[in-house]
Amino acid sequence: MLESIALLLFLGLAAGIGLGIASRIFYVWEDPKVLAILDCLPGANCGGCGQAGCGAAAEAMAAGRIECNVCVVGGFETAKAVGAILGQEVKEREPDFALSSCIYGVGEADPIFTYNGATDCRAAVMLYGGSKLCTIGCVGMGTCVKVCPFNALSMGEDNLPVVNHDRCVGCGTCVEACPKNIITLSSATRRITSEYVTDECTAPCQRACPTGIDVRGYIREIKKGNYEDALRIIKEKCPLPLVCGYICPAPCELACRRNLADKAVAIDPLKRFVADYERTTGKQIQPYKTPSNGIKIAVIGGGTEGMTTAYYLARLGYEPTIFESKPQLGGILRHAISEDRLPRDVLDHDIKGVLDMGVEAKTGQVMGRDFTVDGLLKEGYDAVVLTTGGFDSRQILNPAFSQQGNVPVAGVFTMLDFLMALSRGQGVSSVKHAVMCFSGEKTLETARKLRGSGCDKVTIVADKPSAALPNELRGIHANPVEGIEVRPSNSIVAMGGISDHLCRIMIQEVNEKGDICGAQEILDADLVIIPGARFPEWVFVHANGKPETPSDELKWQTIDSFQTFPRDARKGIIGAPEPGRMSDSTAVVKAILSGRRLARAVNQYFSNGVILPIEHLALEAESIPDVTELHHITTSERVLPALAYAEDKTEGGAMQLREPLPAIEESDAVKEAERCLQCGLICYKKG
Amino acid sequence: MDYIILIISSLLINNILLAQFLGNCPFLGTSKRMDTAIGMGIAVIFVLTIACIVTFWVQHKVLDPLGIDYLQTVSFILVIAALVQLVEMFLRKFAKPLYTALGIFLPLITTNCAVMGAALLIIRKEYTFTQGVVFAIASASGFTLALILMAGIRERLEISDVPLALRGTAIGLITAGLMALAFFGFQGMDAALTALVRS
Repeated sequence: MLESIALLLFLGLAAGIGLGIASRIFYVWEDPKVLAILDCLPGANCGGCGQAGCGAAAEAMAAGRIECNVCVVGGFETAKAVGAILGQEVKEREPDFALSSCIYGVGEADPIFTYNGATDCRAAVMLYGGSKLCTIGCVGMGTCVKVCPFNALSMGEDNLPVVNHDRCVGCGTCVEACPKNIITLSSATRRITSEYVTDECTAPCQRACPTGIDVRGYIREIKKGNYEDALRIIKEKCPLPLVCGYICPAPCELACRRNLADKAVAIDPLKRFVADYERTTGKQIQPYKTPSNGIKIAVIGGGTEGMTTAYYLARLGYEPTIFESKPQLGGILRHAISEDRLPRDVLDHDIKGVLDMGVEAKTGQVMGRDFTVDGLLKEGYDAVVLTTGGFDSRQILNPAFSQQGNVPVAGVFTMLDFLMALSRGQGVSSVKHAVMCFSGEKTLETARKLRGSGCDKVTIVADKPSAALPNELRGIHANPVEGIEVRPSNSIVAMGGISDHLCRIMIQEVNEKGDICGAQEILDADLVIIPGARFPEWVFVHANGKPETPSDELKWQTIDSFQTFPRDARKGIIGAPEPGRMSDSTAVVKAILSGRRLARAVNQYFSNGVILPIEHLALEAESIPDVTELHHITTSERVLPALAYAEDKTEGGAMQLREPLPAIEESDAVKEAERCLQCGLICYKKG
Repeated sequence: MDYIILIISSLLINNILLAQFLGNCPFLGTSKRMDTAIGMGIAVIFVLTIACIVTFWVQHKVLDPLGIDYLQTVSFILVIAALVQLVEMFLRKFAKPLYTALGIFLPLITTNCAVMGAALLIIRKEYTFTQGVVFAIASASGFTLALILMAGIRERLEISDVPLALRGTAIGLITAGLMALAFFGFQGMDAALTALVRS
């Protein structure tokens, strides 16, 4: 008895003392911060932060290799706790969430074979890319559900993944597992500025709409009677739903798949119906916003494009202010379109919606007379967005060509203004180096006039190779003439200046396809002549990224906002003949698109510092899978009045005027909504 | 020759998992993924060998001389537990990569019945020290083998159309049973092998 107690005591003591000594000998110093951080982390080891589990993340955070707000599971609370341990201030990170895009499950979509193998999407896709005819469709084996560490996914009745947004933390495990890219990570910001890409399920109407309204989405809600949700879906992409409902030339209806069977769904009148519903019931419906970030943006021009830019910037948390020269906002909509087509109370209703989103407007403010770009930057605006060009940039006051007095945009003139000033006998005596874009035969003549009026040097920048230029210019390129230089295969990509002087121009080489990708060069220039009579959409910011102290001279530059435009328009900030512009005045929806892209550029500049083009845009895709005939659908006559478009269904035909539309009955609207086929890329509702 | 028979016997014929049913908990718990199974297997080989060496010494130098055999189980538990702690500290100091690789598995197997069982079997079968070490390594390898086989099967089960009621542990246990049946085929082979060698 005693023996055994003694033995166990001895063994226990020996082990205890041994371990005690060993713990001293084998002591490894560990950063107490790592342990403390590890305590704060949720321990899910999901890898959503990009590290190999929470332990590795804690070490990386303590070592300062990663930010302390990268944990997607813990969110802001965890980030704050970690920040407190490390003594850092923590910026709130916008939460990500998973989004599923396929809308027709395996049961409903057209199959190419019946799959009977292992129940794993990755296995199923190895066989001819899945059993569906649609190449981007969900194969429905639920691999995403199996891999989700947070049980946030489930397979719905139609065999499509359903995301439970309360549980989803945005770790991205499902995105990695899905072989079809059905599930993508998104965030409020990315959703607001998103454009359709080729590996996304889009209906023909959605792709045809320049603003990219989720047409099938809002028609589905109208069918269910959820008019408020329908309007919310429209306002997600279009800040002026009622205006569009009245005057949009509705290219979507030409693309409507029902045209293959009978007549297109009355997409635009349905939009008008829900927008009217908002106006008559007085319930204002606004889509979501992201939290405010306090960045002040001046938007110059209160037309469709300017209002759209301001609307999106407000939704992205900025504080936009519109500067409009006329007493009221509206631009072309107010001053050029007849009241028969667009009653002004309709316009006012939509403008109120834009302003209520958090947009300030200063009317009766003429650029050049009441304010200038550098003046606004000095006043404390973080960026100035120029959206003046809808019909005539010369609304901007261009007081004197002699560069005395108030110059609206330092060192920038339109060719038309320059020629008119010359004819009045005004010269450019103080200009040392003028840069202009090649815009046809007139260019060289203008360059000579510039030289003649006292300019020391003129550089003509052309985005074409020298072989494609007129003989005379080619000659000057080969044998330079004094004072005139030709730079073929180049584009102007940025301007920079100090206070109200333009100082430099950055040009960059373009390849044969016209893509800007070559070497950059900075020219010291103090004058830029824009071909034509309209100002491009430019965004001016403080050159060193932050406002100067009052005593410093203001340094400013433009950002490469043209990166957001479609590839064929990405020709630098000044192009020819319609300089670097996206919006023309052919349709309100086109101006909305370019307004949104400008907002995207501004947001990318302030959040990442770089503006990236959107790759694989559905709008730019050479071919997108589509159907050429419809099977198994019941034809039905269009309930709502048809558009007055001509028989030819070409792009030109789509831009025709429309007869004024009478008010729409609710029952008619619902009946018309039921005609919608709820198209996917190649799927549609049968029966 | 005897050693070869000993190895074959403890690796296949008397497989510690599938013939003696020791260590079923980690067998089901860590066989869902191949990399976990391999990690666990290596950790078991490592710990089991060291544990057997130390318990052999405790048995022959402490318990036997004092004549208190009945304390075998208790003292073995104590010794193995302390040992694993020590090994963990040692690895952490001098072999950080191995420590990170074995990770959670080291403390997990502190009181694993496969480790305990092997230590007790060495004493019961009255092996010499060398025989004991060989037996320990071979048994642990047998454990690893079974675990990896199981992981391979379960990775396939994961994507197979298993009836709802049988999903998870249920189908795991059925699989384990079927594997044990397969290993049952080795039974009696040791006697035949011995006879073959002797003749």
